[in-house]
Amino acid sequence: MSASRRDFLKLTGLAGAGLVVRVPFLAAATPADPGAEPFAPNQWLRVGSDGRVTLVVARTEMGQGVRTALSMILADELEADWASVSVEQASTGPLYTDMNTGGSDSVESSWVELRRAAASARTMLVAAAARRWNVGVESCRAACGSVVHVPTGRRLSYGSLAAAAARLPVPKEPALKDPKDFRIVGKPVRRVDGPAIVTGKARYGLDTRVPGMLFAAVARCPVAGGKLARFDAAKAKSVPGVVRVVEVSTGVAVVARSTWSALSGREALDVAWDEGGNAGLTTAELVRRIDAAAVSGKPHVSRREGDVEKALAGAAVRMTATYRDGFQAHASVEPQNAIARVSSGACEIWAPTQNPQRVQREAARLLGIAPEKVTVHVTLVGGGFGRRLGADYAVEAADVARAAGAPVQVVWSRKDDFEHDWLHPAGRADLEAGLDGSGRIVAWKHRFASLHLSMFGAFDPESVDQPDVDPWGGYDTPYAVPNLLAEWIAVESPIRTGAWRSVEYPANVFARESFLDEIAHRTGRDPLDLRRELLTGSFPWASKRVDRSQLAAVLDLAASKAGWGKHLPDRPGRRSGRGVACNVYHGRTLLAHVAEVSVGAGGDVRVHRIVTAADCGQVVNPLGVQGQVESGVAWGLSYALKGGIAIEKGRVAQASFRDFPALGIAEMPRVEVYTVPGSNRPTGFGEQPVPPVAPAVANAIFAATGRRARSLPIRPADLAS
Amino acid sequence: MRYRLTVNRKLREVEAEPDTPLLWVLRDGLNLTGTKYGCGVGACGACTVLDGGKAARSCQIPVELAAGRRITTIEGLSSDGGHPCQRAWLEEDVAQCGYCQSGMILEAAALLAAKRRPTDEEIDAAFADHVCRCGTWQRVRRAVHSTSRLASKGATPSEGRQ
Repeated sequence: MSASRRDFLKLTGLAGAGLVVRVPFLAAATPADPGAEPFAPNQWLRVGSDGRVTLVVARTEMGQGVRTALSMILADELEADWASVSVEQASTGPLYTDMNTGGSDSVESSWVELRRAAASARTMLVAAAARRWNVGVESCRAACGSVVHVPTGRRLSYGSLAAAAARLPVPKEPALKDPKDFRIVGKPVRRVDGPAIVTGKARYGLDTRVPGMLFAAVARCPVAGGKLARFDAAKAKSVPGVVRVVEVSTGVAVVARSTWSALSGREALDVAWDEGGNAGLTTAELVRRIDAAAVSGKPHVSRREGDVEKALAGAAVRMTATYRDGFQAHASVEPQNAIARVSSGACEIWAPTQNPQRVQREAARLLGIAPEKVTVHVTLVGGGFGRRLGADYAVEAADVARAAGAPVQVVWSRKDDFEHDWLHPAGRADLEAGLDGSGRIVAWKHRFASLHLSMFGAFDPESVDQPDVDPWGGYDTPYAVPNLLAEWIAVESPIRTGAWRSVEYPANVFARESFLDEIAHRTGRDPLDLRRELLTGSFPWASKRVDRSQLAAVLDLAASKAGWGKHLPDRPGRRSGRGVACNVYHGRTLLAHVAEVSVGAGGDVRVHRIVTAADCGQVVNPLGVQGQVESGVAWGLSYALKGGIAIEKGRVAQASFRDFPALGIAEMPRVEVYTVPGSNRPTGFGEQPVPPVAPAVANAIFAATGRRARSLPIRPADLAS
Repeated sequence: MRYRLTVNRKLREVEAEPDTPLLWVLRDGLNLTGTKYGCGVGACGACTVLDGGKAARSCQIPVELAAGRRITTIEGLSSDGGHPCQRAWLEEDVAQCGYCQSGMILEAAALLAAKRRPTDEEIDAAFADHVCRCGTWQRVRRAVHSTSRLASKGATPSEGRQ
């Protein structure tokens, strides 16, 4: 396996056992900031003599609510007073070696470790109190930021015990709370960053300030693979406020005293590009390459059960369908930006990043210094969605700061952000099924072709031979079919492509769940009943097996709450329908949506209601889960129904939100969320709601109109009556 | 050039080129970074401020035209986060990444100052040119309605409360 592929697995956290690097729990006392607080039993938390509890979060907060969820886990297990807990963002350094935030696993991967860290601290605080009272620890109990001596009702605050607790040994195997005693975990808790956000005090990357810093805008070749031909700095330098114009590896940086001067200076810059071999590239050409690979390329087999070809040959009915999706941008509202300060063999970077260690590594390589000489400070992130797993914009800041000889904030304009995004690539899924005389599915074939994700490195044909992990949504289909084949083909991407909220799942879940719906209608069965029939036994995922009945339970919950099979409200002049779709995300969170839509005479689609059911183990914060479903639904609907990205003349044709419309307030459906009660390890919720949105809507559109949408985004013209 | 403008009820003097958008004067000149840059062309609403009580896109107002006006940013909407819109935003836990929310809160403040009890359609119209990629819309709508309920209990969702 190549390094890039391995990085990808690590980055997305999908590889299950073995590949995901975890920071081990540190049993030894290693204060995060010695001297600042009296009690810091490990790198995750500190208790001050004033009773303040500080949680150090080594993950990126980008709206998914990780700071809130981790604070809840900590406060509950520590028996802290919720009001006393505050969050501190970790920076790169020896204590925090994997801060990658991707693959929706921050809560899951922190669950045990953080609880153990908090339980250790609680045990030590209780022991310190028992010592002070000269009583047995068993007669003492931790509660809401204090230790209580139960027989006498005496009470000592954590703050007053912190210094004494710090002198005690850290327990190796602290006793964890019984989940039935959780008093914060499982309750709706509002976002900890809320007060800072609503008062404008929250500091994102773009709001970060460093003494003496300048601002820069970089002119880059709009065509991937192109390079600088020539530039003349004179006009740019004549713009008031422009300090320097410097060549860097990504183009030409205009460095100025203010953002506006930098942007104006770049506007005035005289620059020409050698656009290279991609200058004629179009969306149609890229799709042609994907099609050619899908039809005649050599596929990699990711899952094979039984003999699909034989079963297809003997089938009473054979069905085939091709599904497509398009290029999409991340378009987080905070554009890319970063500050770098480079001095005498060291570098400091402030960036809204999902992967600070990657920034550290790549900046070190650029500067020719050791990675540990680069410190990366993670700011709040104004929307991540996978875009900020790339380190490009932060490394560029280091490049500009070095060339400018001053700390610099590199600011990307909205147009830059579209032009140099790592796009979600177009994809094509070819599905084929064989049915026996009674309509039973006896063969299922899923082949996916798309561009490789250049965010994770150059195309390496060897690196794609991962028999068990692609395509997401194809190889891990939850349905029991006796003869099964999942295959995929990656095409070298000449443009910038990358991880995008749930990556390959949306395209493949759209295909799989739509095709199942097509089979249900062809064989005269209810789409929900057909799914239930196929959800018996278990299916493999990494080293474990997933019980299909759990997904059946989730589907039933969604269906009953949505009123599946019941009459829909009449909407004059519109055709109405319901659709269902489900998915299991990397063998973890199981989730189903039921969509209620109506279609007007002109083919305009309105999604009125989405009912979601999920099994994600222990729900840490129901308010957070609800929010992530709302968010995933909005994201999935933008993907299913709104614009997309077009490549023209080798460049991204969209430059603003005007030509890349995202789902707006008037189009937002009512979203209802139901979870299956559970006390198992919590599984993630950031990406999970996205994949089944498009097929639930497409299936509802079919129920409403009899028209099958096989290509995303769905266009009204295809549905006009 | 030097310009004088009233920001959050204080008279401020700034040095800037005449074409500099108010957005950058606020952010870089006055260090009021609560007003966000999202697109620079008036298409996302992240830079929304109150201009004499009306919602305005600060990226579309050159500083020479802002001179003499009364501008309120998120930092000046209240001294303590106590404006009814801010309280409702917290109560409904609207924000996700939060980046677009200052603009939304100021849009809501302007809407509610003009219309005490806006309908869903009026809310949709007011927020039509805002972009939120986290999809907080359901809660935005709820927060506007709940502000309107708070307001009817006495508080006034008007410009710049001290």
